[in-house]
Amino acid sequence: MPELIPFRWPASWTDAAKLDLLKGTAINCIAGEAPPPFPLGDLPFVKLDADHPPEGIALRDGVWPQVLAPTRKDAAGGGATGGPWVDSNASVVRLAKVMEPGKMVWLTYTPPGGKDVVPMDSFVKPITEAEAFGGHWVIALDAFMAEQVAKREEKALSQWQRMMAGLRFTAARRDRRAWEPVAPLAVASTFAGDDKLLSEEFLNLAPRRHLAYRALRAADVAGASFAKQKAVLYLENTPPEGAVRAKLLEFAQAGGLLIAPLGTVDSPPEERRMEHTVRRAGKGRIAMPLEKWEDPFTLVDQVHVLVSHREDPVQVWNGSDMDLFYVTSPKEDQAVTHLIPYASGSTLPITLSYRKAWRRARVVTLNGATAAQPVQGQLGMEIAVPEFTDYAVVELEA
Amino acid sequence: MTRREWMAAAAAAGLAPRVRAAAVPSSPVALARCPAYDGGVLTSLRRMFDQIGGIGRLVSGKTVAVKINMTGSLRARTGYRAAWNTRWSHPVVIGAAVHLIGEAGARRIRVVEGSSEDDHPLEEDFLIGGWDPADVLGAASNVEMENTGFLGNGKEYKRLEVAGGGLIYSAFDVNHSYAECDAMVSIAKLKEHELAGLSLTLKNMVGIAPGTVYGDSAGYDQPAARPYGARTMFHIGNRQPPEGTPPEKNPNSPREFGYRVPRIAIDLVRARPVDLAIIDGIETQTGASGAAVDEGVKRQMRLVAPGVLVASRNPVCADAAAAAVMGFDPMAARGRAPFESCDSTLELAEQAGIGTRDLKGIEVLGARIADVRMPFRQG
Repeated sequence: MPELIPFRWPASWTDAAKLDLLKGTAINCIAGEAPPPFPLGDLPFVKLDADHPPEGIALRDGVWPQVLAPTRKDAAGGGATGGPWVDSNASVVRLAKVMEPGKMVWLTYTPPGGKDVVPMDSFVKPITEAEAFGGHWVIALDAFMAEQVAKREEKALSQWQRMMAGLRFTAARRDRRAWEPVAPLAVASTFAGDDKLLSEEFLNLAPRRHLAYRALRAADVAGASFAKQKAVLYLENTPPEGAVRAKLLEFAQAGGLLIAPLGTVDSPPEERRMEHTVRRAGKGRIAMPLEKWEDPFTLVDQVHVLVSHREDPVQVWNGSDMDLFYVTSPKEDQAVTHLIPYASGSTLPITLSYRKAWRRARVVTLNGATAAQPVQGQLGMEIAVPEFTDYAVVELEA
Repeated sequence: MTRREWMAAAAAAGLAPRVRAAAVPSSPVALARCPAYDGGVLTSLRRMFDQIGGIGRLVSGKTVAVKINMTGSLRARTGYRAAWNTRWSHPVVIGAAVHLIGEAGARRIRVVEGSSEDDHPLEEDFLIGGWDPADVLGAASNVEMENTGFLGNGKEYKRLEVAGGGLIYSAFDVNHSYAECDAMVSIAKLKEHELAGLSLTLKNMVGIAPGTVYGDSAGYDQPAARPYGARTMFHIGNRQPPEGTPPEKNPNSPREFGYRVPRIAIDLVRARPVDLAIIDGIETQTGASGAAVDEGVKRQMRLVAPGVLVASRNPVCADAAAAAVMGFDPMAARGRAPFESCDSTLELAEQAGIGTRDLKGIEVLGARIADVRMPFRQG
């Protein structure tokens, strides 16, 4: 059975003739709370019910991806530090895949309603964002866009075709979903209980500082390999116990950096760094906070320094409102970096710097591919990414 | 008798060419062509330090603070060009200066800059900018770095009184590094600035004011724990620093940036005098932060490679010579480029007795200004 690509049928599309709009597209199912009042032909209907999710599918709400502009000059329209506030679904999709392995993740949010005007050209990003992280957005048009597409208005139709091109683009590259994130840091947590907000927000905010991570459930720590990680953050305010604790201490003893809650060990610290105490443990180190962790954004920044920006597998300049997702093939002879800008319009000129010396690179957007010549920078191989909108992927070969 | 000896003798005898030049200190300025960030930088700086009389007496056995410039976002570039090559002091220049300071016998060298966006160790901010700090840390022995945008490694802020009482502030609370150092080196980039006309070694000293006290994140009751944001209170005087920190002398003085920023820069230099000024003009951008914002100002943002280094024991003399290299008249008052929208930092510095801006009273050694001039304005 082919993978389901869901579309939420607009309320204003009251006749089956509109099904013609889906012909020749990658959309192959209708999803919603209730089916449209007419036969759907070959298209299956999938009921979106969070209490009874469809088999093999993990449902998540998600948010309309965007940068929120400040409403007043002095207002907190920005992030925790005054930087841009980005509504992103990256961590929602990635965490859902961790918590419900083997399932496809569907994001069920709809375009913002009320007084918010949704520009017609902003419907591509929700599609490419979800697809980049290995999920699907249940494609939904707002009333205006649905009406204009139904009327086959030129601009609306052009954007609709661009949306469908986005689906085709990502569908052609699905084999990369299984590729592993290149990340110096593993973040282990129950992602539940008292620290649920802390841990989920940590993953949400890590991309704002371009801190690359791999997430895993606390329950999976004992059986996990951390061979490709420099550091493990055990993101609970209660110290690990039993086999989990043993595995984490073993990681530190072997040379890794374990960042763990207060009370994990009682050996005396050798230094204080970024509101944490750090002590030696075998060949490695263990860092613990001076006080219980509370603020996820501050913690992201502290953890990034504890691990060190030196370990960043890829750096980006002029991409503060952008999510990067850098994954590599099992043989590590190929890799891609998904670039998802959240601001509207064209990006600035983006520079990426890779620690690994990739031999060949090309930048692919919905408009086509261009070869990029890696240039040796001071800390890595730099690649200049031309300005683009919505989505780009940098394809790398060793 | 050399020209330098003649000028010193003339100044002592009251025979200096102009009254202004005799009234305020003057130090020789060394200019050097240096086309690239390579081994030639060290060679050039070594020769330049010799030309200005050597730095041994200044740094030998001393703790030396080297204030670099890493203004603006760490994660932003001008186009694809790294900030080191556009608006920040380049690590090759910093490393060469640190090496020579170490070679001259400094006991300890602390490279300092106040981040406006984080409380990271400065080494981490180097990495975010895309450069390995080991290049600077390894340039001499006993080199360390500190982010002075907050308390840093200190336990409390140190108060620096402004000599002469100050124009806007009478004292500043700063990171301990600025109080502990015996000698102060300011390494700036050659560039214009929309709020101060020039962003050279004098303006570079605005960065010693910690963001936790003078930045947008500053608390009202006490300094913030972490710096974030611009020093808006410096720019427009929208508020006073936290309680317990010396406030402005006259809160009714003009709130206009063109009045305030040049004066505050001078206050900071008088609070922590600059003993050695170095300007990196090898590669740069003409404007510090965007193109002209004021009507009638022809300031532009262009990437340029003047291929020049400037050094002097006096920051006013260094900045005056650098202004001339940029195609400006250092004697220009407000209303003339590059000071179309602000008072002249150079004039204020001269009036404060820090140094002369009059090229007739400054001995320029090495390359001639006319030979290295690269006008920053076009058309």
